[in-house]
Amino acid sequence: MLSYVLRKILYFIPVVWGVVTVVFILVTIVPGDPARLLMGQRGDPETLARIRSDLGLDLPISRQYIRFLGDLLRGDLGTSYRNNEKVAASLMEHFGATLRLAFWAMILASVIGVSAGILSAVKQYSLFDYSAMFIAVAGVSAPVFWVGLLLLLIFAYGLQILPGVGYGDGSWRYLILPVVTLGTRPAALIARLTRSCMLDVMNQDYIRTARSKGLTERVVVLKHAFKNALIPVNTIIGTQVAELLSGAVLTETIFAWPGVGRLTVEALVARDFPMIRGSVIFMALIFLVTNLLVDLSYGLVDPRIRYD
Amino acid sequence: MRKTLRPLRYCLVIALFVLGACIAGAEEPRSGGVLRWREISDPPRLDPATASDSVSNRNLYLMFDTLVENDIDGKGLLPRLAESWEGSEEGRVWTFRLRKGARFHATNRGSPTGNGGREVRAADWKYSFERLVKVGSPRAYFIDMVKGYRDFTDGKTSEWSGIRVIDDHTLQFELEYSFAPFVSILAYPCFAVVPREDAEKAGVNFNFGPVGSGPFLLDHWEHDQKVVYKRNPDYWRRDDGGRPLPYLDGVEIIVIPDNTIAYGEFRKGNIDVLPDVPDEFYTDVKERFGNLFQERPLLGVYYIGFNYAKPPFKDNRTLRKALNYAVDRKAMSDFLLEGRYAPAPGVLPPGMPGYDPDLKGYDFDPGLARKMLAEAGAAEGFSVELNIDNNPRHRTVAEGLQGLLAEFGIDLRVNVLDWGVHLDLADRGETQMYRMGWIVDYADPDNFLYVLFHSDNFGPKGNYSYYKNEKVDGLLTEARIETDYDRRMALYREAERIIVDDAPWMFLFYYTTSLVGGEHVRNLRLPAFGHYSTPLEIAWIDR
Amino acid sequence: MTAGKKRSASADLRYEAWLRFRRNRLALAGLVMALSVILAAVFAPVLAPYDPLKQLIWTQGREVRLAAPSAAHLLGTDLFGRDILSRILYGARISLQIGIFATIVSLLVGVPLGALAGYFGGFADDAISWLINVIFAFPFFLFIIAVVAVLQNPSMTVIYLAIGLVNWVGVARITRAQFISLREREFVEAARALGLPTWRIIFVHILPNALAPVIVQATMGIGGIIMIEAGLAFLGFGAQPPAPSWGLMISDGQKYLAVGKWWWAIFPGLAITYTVLAFNFLGDGLRDALDARLKR
Repeated sequence: MLSYVLRKILYFIPVVWGVVTVVFILVTIVPGDPARLLMGQRGDPETLARIRSDLGLDLPISRQYIRFLGDLLRGDLGTSYRNNEKVAASLMEHFGATLRLAFWAMILASVIGVSAGILSAVKQYSLFDYSAMFIAVAGVSAPVFWVGLLLLLIFAYGLQILPGVGYGDGSWRYLILPVVTLGTRPAALIARLTRSCMLDVMNQDYIRTARSKGLTERVVVLKHAFKNALIPVNTIIGTQVAELLSGAVLTETIFAWPGVGRLTVEALVARDFPMIRGSVIFMALIFLVTNLLVDLSYGLVDPRIRYD
Repeated sequence: MRKTLRPLRYCLVIALFVLGACIAGAEEPRSGGVLRWREISDPPRLDPATASDSVSNRNLYLMFDTLVENDIDGKGLLPRLAESWEGSEEGRVWTFRLRKGARFHATNRGSPTGNGGREVRAADWKYSFERLVKVGSPRAYFIDMVKGYRDFTDGKTSEWSGIRVIDDHTLQFELEYSFAPFVSILAYPCFAVVPREDAEKAGVNFNFGPVGSGPFLLDHWEHDQKVVYKRNPDYWRRDDGGRPLPYLDGVEIIVIPDNTIAYGEFRKGNIDVLPDVPDEFYTDVKERFGNLFQERPLLGVYYIGFNYAKPPFKDNRTLRKALNYAVDRKAMSDFLLEGRYAPAPGVLPPGMPGYDPDLKGYDFDPGLARKMLAEAGAAEGFSVELNIDNNPRHRTVAEGLQGLLAEFGIDLRVNVLDWGVHLDLADRGETQMYRMGWIVDYADPDNFLYVLFHSDNFGPKGNYSYYKNEKVDGLLTEARIETDYDRRMALYREAERIIVDDAPWMFLFYYTTSLVGGEHVRNLRLPAFGHYSTPLEIAWIDR
Repeated sequence: MTAGKKRSASADLRYEAWLRFRRNRLALAGLVMALSVILAAVFAPVLAPYDPLKQLIWTQGREVRLAAPSAAHLLGTDLFGRDILSRILYGARISLQIGIFATIVSLLVGVPLGALAGYFGGFADDAISWLINVIFAFPFFLFIIAVVAVLQNPSMTVIYLAIGLVNWVGVARITRAQFISLREREFVEAARALGLPTWRIIFVHILPNALAPVIVQATMGIGGIIMIEAGLAFLGFGAQPPAPSWGLMISDGQKYLAVGKWWWAIFPGLAITYTVLAFNFLGDGLRDALDARLKR
């Protein structure tokens, strides 16, 4: 077990370094001078030179890279060019909003997805099965930003029973539409996967044995089939969480949700290098760490995996 | 009968008196209340030395005082912390007499400040100006004509020699050359006075806890949500009746990025002022809120520049003029912009000194346009690129222009770039056509004509068209040092006429500024300089 | 089946797969739907009632500005008086082009790299897997935006490349997994024993057998790519005006939702959903049909 964990972590480190370096390269070669942007529309060359020097932009690239790595190892993600806030602090502030959104979206998606999946598998080829699966495929096919707009149109502008976009006063009512929007796709994926896993499992011998033992269908399904189908479903939930956390950019943009995804897009437009670097690395780290945890838990649950 | 009538007469008089008092009293400003003002984004910076955008400026106007301020209707300069000023030596030396009794904020974010609420003195002004240079303000160079700027910025001297403290309440500036618009530049929010104790103690964090002398002081800042200000109880300004301003207990700048929800909140009464009414609700707001809605031309222009130094527009005035005749500005404004922008014949907007109401620009004349296109060798149509930045309004205008020009066989290719790239290309003159806007910094035609059209200012300094005309250069330089007002304006008018004739731009629109206030908000006066400078110290809430 | 004609084993399998496919109603629906989109794209000039770029407001005035669906304009008009139905039909061209070209780029990059990693293992595998994991860790969307920004010129080619260069990782992963499982099989050992050159083994022997799940992934991927392009256009990083990109239309139309003019933003979304649905059904059907082959 220990060697498994160690191996996983050792693979983790070069990937993180790769991410960090690619981010640095990308941000450096993206055209557009942040110092120029900070000056506003009208600029004067001497002030420009001074700002560049203050930001450390006049150092050779290799020096900037070393500085960057050094800061990173100390946990310093730098200071935003735009508003002088510490990037790390800004990220933590915004991450709270993203976390809230992703958390509830995942809960919704898991509950709906798993139940729909189980029911569809149990009632295979029924009307419920066909409709549920159709909705699921539609859920995966509709662009998330369009779904969001549609929901806004119907519930916020049309029927006016829900507030529109934004974090509002933080109450749960503002959470509903973004959560439903963000959760649609994962719900659909989970439903489909649960269904196919359940079907696989339910055709196995040990299920037939359980049935012939006279156990009720419900026990058979829930106690025996479901638990085994859970493993791959768990994995998908894990990866979905990782994806959602690492920035539900489109949903956050439509709903003006003050999360990390939107922060990054704004930083990109403003060429706020430290913020871009910081938030992309942050999100990548979250993704990697979540996946790592899922992998490790997978190893815990299923001994076969450890000897991979 | 007579006996009963006399007391009746008295009662009537008393009733009238009371009625009169009620009416007068109804208009008597009430103290108290918090005004909630919507902004579309979190202010990037609250330190006057580093802020340069309108959202930040909105906040700066609340916390800080400058020496002078702009009249609400753009009619000139008014005293603020300077009671009076005079120029001598033909506009090379400016002496300001400072107001007594203006104090810095005594508290900030709930705790006492380093300066303790002491009086503002001339030395504080010198400190504040020098600080601009030391902190690397992007706007310090606006006053680079003050003697000693160069040496001080290069670090050769430890103080700015052209700024002199004569005594505690007298401040003097000596310029390298006569520069008539000098005093109007000082109205710009970055030239505010800050207390040395707090600025030095906070260092870069002054941005998160700025201390000034203005009508409101910072209480707390929840990023991306709101900025909360409380009334400054020691503010120097009083109204005509001697009452201390501001009337309000506080102001909250509420950040709501989405227009729809902002409008919804305003209608529900959760927001008191909605500045810069968005296009999609414009007609609705006008219908619904009538006289609570204010709109006026903003001192700013929206234009598309031609690259004067490169083909196809280089040395091809006929082509440039043809394109100006080909555009139906009124229809574009009506269809695409809800009629909000006014067609612009030239450069200087109405309200700016030197504005020429008789200037003949380019009317929509398709026949003439076609003829001139043929003369310019473009009868078969041609293809040209327009750079814009990624903003929905600009995209709309550009697309509309595409459709319009297609009727003349012109293939307008629109490049939607993000702002950094767009600016970069315009700076370097790597464009064919580019869209830009220009909003006033200080109320003088120099701020438009010199910055945008003088050949000293190619690229990032403002002349993105790389336009050069020696006669215009001469007129503009002369006007900078001319001290007689009428002669200056005449020079600017002549320059503008030549510029319009040379057509380095497709002259399009003047911006407008607008806001709508809740019905309980009183004395909200929209300035010509833009909604972000609406003075909130004179506003009050009637509840 | 005609009597006496000998079929090869793989032809049999393919025929069985086709039968299975035909039975799957959703798969057939997907095929028909996908064909309809392709036909719409190809025959757009014939089918579209108006020129998708012609802005009618300059000649017909205010009444064609954001006009609701009517007999003259079945899906309404946009702010410039352009017919939305015509734009949606031409928009299919953009979406399909992106879907196909980006997929081709993904395949061209992903298959060889995945094959190399899977067949040779060792350092090649470690290096390529590392690269895959690094790219995979990035918030996908932002990565593409950044790539588009780097390549600066916002043309369609740039967008195909950008999407393809990020999307190849999925293809590579599957190819690699296939190669890993297939390289130990007897037919490969036999080929090696015969002394056949490595490249021949990879391309002629293993690759055709590995392709099935790759094709499934690529087909479903087309839907995903179309959605990515729409998302990019929505944020302003994709197709440029006046191109009738579906994502761009949604982006332009969204601010009019609140004042009740919904057709500009909603219809293109239906078009996207329809198209992506088509490719998803198709992909699902292909996977089920080829499933038996995979399981064998």
